[in-house]
Amino acid sequence: MSAKPDAPPIEGVSVEPGSFRDPDSRVFYSDGRVLRALSEQGLADWRALASSPLLSELIDEGKLVSTRLLDDADPAGVLPAAAVLEHEVVPFVSYPYEWCFGMLRQAALLQLELVRRALEHDLMLKDATPYNVQWRGPQPVFVDVGSFERLRPGEPWAGYRQFCMLFLYPLLLQAYKGMPFQPWLRGRIEGVSPAECRGLLSGRDLFRRGVATHVALHSRLERRYANTSRDLKRELGSAGFKKELILANVRRLERLVRRLRWDPPPSAWSEYSATTSYSEAEAQRKTEFVREVAGSRRWDLVWDLGCNDGRYSRIAAETARSVVALDGDASVVEMLFRELRDEGGAPILPLVADLVDPSPALGWRGLERRTLAERGAPELTLCLALVHHVVISANVPLVELVGWLRALGTTLVVEFPTPDDPMVQRLLVRKREGDHPDYTRNDFERALGERFQVERTEPLSSGTRILYFARPKD
Amino acid sequence: MFSPQLGYLDPGTGSMVLQAIAGGAAAIAVVGKMYWRRLLSFLRIRKPDESVRS
Repeated sequence: MSAKPDAPPIEGVSVEPGSFRDPDSRVFYSDGRVLRALSEQGLADWRALASSPLLSELIDEGKLVSTRLLDDADPAGVLPAAAVLEHEVVPFVSYPYEWCFGMLRQAALLQLELVRRALEHDLMLKDATPYNVQWRGPQPVFVDVGSFERLRPGEPWAGYRQFCMLFLYPLLLQAYKGMPFQPWLRGRIEGVSPAECRGLLSGRDLFRRGVATHVALHSRLERRYANTSRDLKRELGSAGFKKELILANVRRLERLVRRLRWDPPPSAWSEYSATTSYSEAEAQRKTEFVREVAGSRRWDLVWDLGCNDGRYSRIAAETARSVVALDGDASVVEMLFRELRDEGGAPILPLVADLVDPSPALGWRGLERRTLAERGAPELTLCLALVHHVVISANVPLVELVGWLRALGTTLVVEFPTPDDPMVQRLLVRKREGDHPDYTRNDFERALGERFQVERTEPLSSGTRILYFARPKD
Repeated sequence: MFSPQLGYLDPGTGSMVLQAIAGGAAAIAVVGKMYWRRLLSFLRIRKPDESVRS
C-alpha cells in the first residue's frame, strides 16, 4: 500500500513524503487541500471513531483537526484508497525540536488526554508522537486522525515507548537536568531511548518523580527482554491485561507531566523586552512604522525573526492570517508562549529557531521533516533588531543575509542599526578592530537596493537606527 | 471482530512488561499471573500453549 515512486506526477497532487510509516493512513495534497487516503482497515477505524461522540467533541473543543469523509473517494490515482478524508489546513507546520518546554509539555498532555478519552469509547491511538501535534497560534491541535483505531482488548498501549522517547524523556531531561531537549529531538527522529535517558540521569535522580519506573525500570526491562522470542503481548492478554491498566498508567503519566516544570533563568526574565537601548518614544515610532506598513494589506503568513517579547508579532497579527515568531533563545520563546497562551486568541506561533543554524531536512530520504522555508515561505518578514546580531555576532556576511531574505521572496521590514549604535558597539568591542568593514549603512543600502525595491526609509530619532520597508525585485 | 494483526509501531517487549507493572496493584496481579503460568508450564503442570489461546 504505498505510492509508486515512479508514478507519473499528477498536476497539483503530491504525496506527503513524511507520511509513509502507517500504511493504513497516508497524507497527500491536492491543490492546497490536505487529504488522507485510508486503507480498508483505516476506513473501519475511521468509522469507529466517527460513530462515537468523541470525534465531534474533540473537533468542537479544538483539540482535533477538522475532518470530513469525502463522498467521492478519488485520490486522483496517487494512492490506492478505500476512502479519502479531508483535513483542515493548519497555518504552519512545526516540529517538536522547534518548540519550547511549555509547548512540548502541553502537547504531551493533549496526547495523554486523547488516549484516556479514546479508551473510554473502546478506541485507542496507535502511536504517540509529537509530530502528530500542530498549533493554531498557541493552542495545540492533534492532526493525525488516522492514529485512532479500534481498541484491541488485552493488548498493552503500543505507543507507550514512543511516548517516553519523544515526550516524557525530553521533558524529564529539561525539568530535572536543565538540559534543553531541542538538540536531542533534532538529533534523532525517534527521540531518546530508555537506556540513553537512564545514562543521562544520576543515582540521585532515581528519587525524582517518574524516574525509577519510566526510566530506570523501563531501561532494565528493555535490556532484559531485548532478545526474547516470547509473544509477550499474548501472554499478557491471556493473563488478564485490560484497558483499565492502560488508563491507570495514562493517569499517572498525566499527573507526572503536569508537575514537570522548567522556568527560564531569572536573567532571561529581567532582559525580556528590555534588551533594546532606545527610548520609549523611539520604540513607539518603530511600532507605528510596523503598524503602517504591515497594515497596508492582509498577509497570509508573516515571520518575525528575532521576535523577543513578540511586540511586533502582535502588531503584524492584527492584519495577518498567521504569524510565526522565531527566536534562537528558548527562554524568550517560553515566556512568549506562556503570555500568548494566557491571552488566548492571537494567531501567533512562537518557535525556537536559530537563524544561522536553522532546522535541517531530516528522516528517510531527507524528506520526512522539511526545512523551515520549505514549510511555507513568508509573505512579510520582520527583521527588527536582528541584522547586527547575524552579521557581527554570527559572522554572516551582510550581503549573504540580504541575499537569503531575497531568496525567501518576502516583503521586508528591516531595521539597520548603524555602527555607532550602542548595541552594535557592545557587539563590536568583543571583536578585533576592523573585523566587520562591510557593516556600514552604505553597504547595507546597496545590498538591499540591488535585491529589493525600497518603498520607505525612516531613521529613528537617535539617528543610529534606520527602518526600511522593501519589496522583492523581480 | 477483526483479525489480530500487528500495528505498524513496535511496542517494545520490555515496554509492554513495564506497562503491566506501572498500572498499579491490578497490573501486578497480571504480571504475577503471567509468571505463575510460566512456572507451571516450566514444571510441566500446564501445557505451554494453554496460556496462548488465539
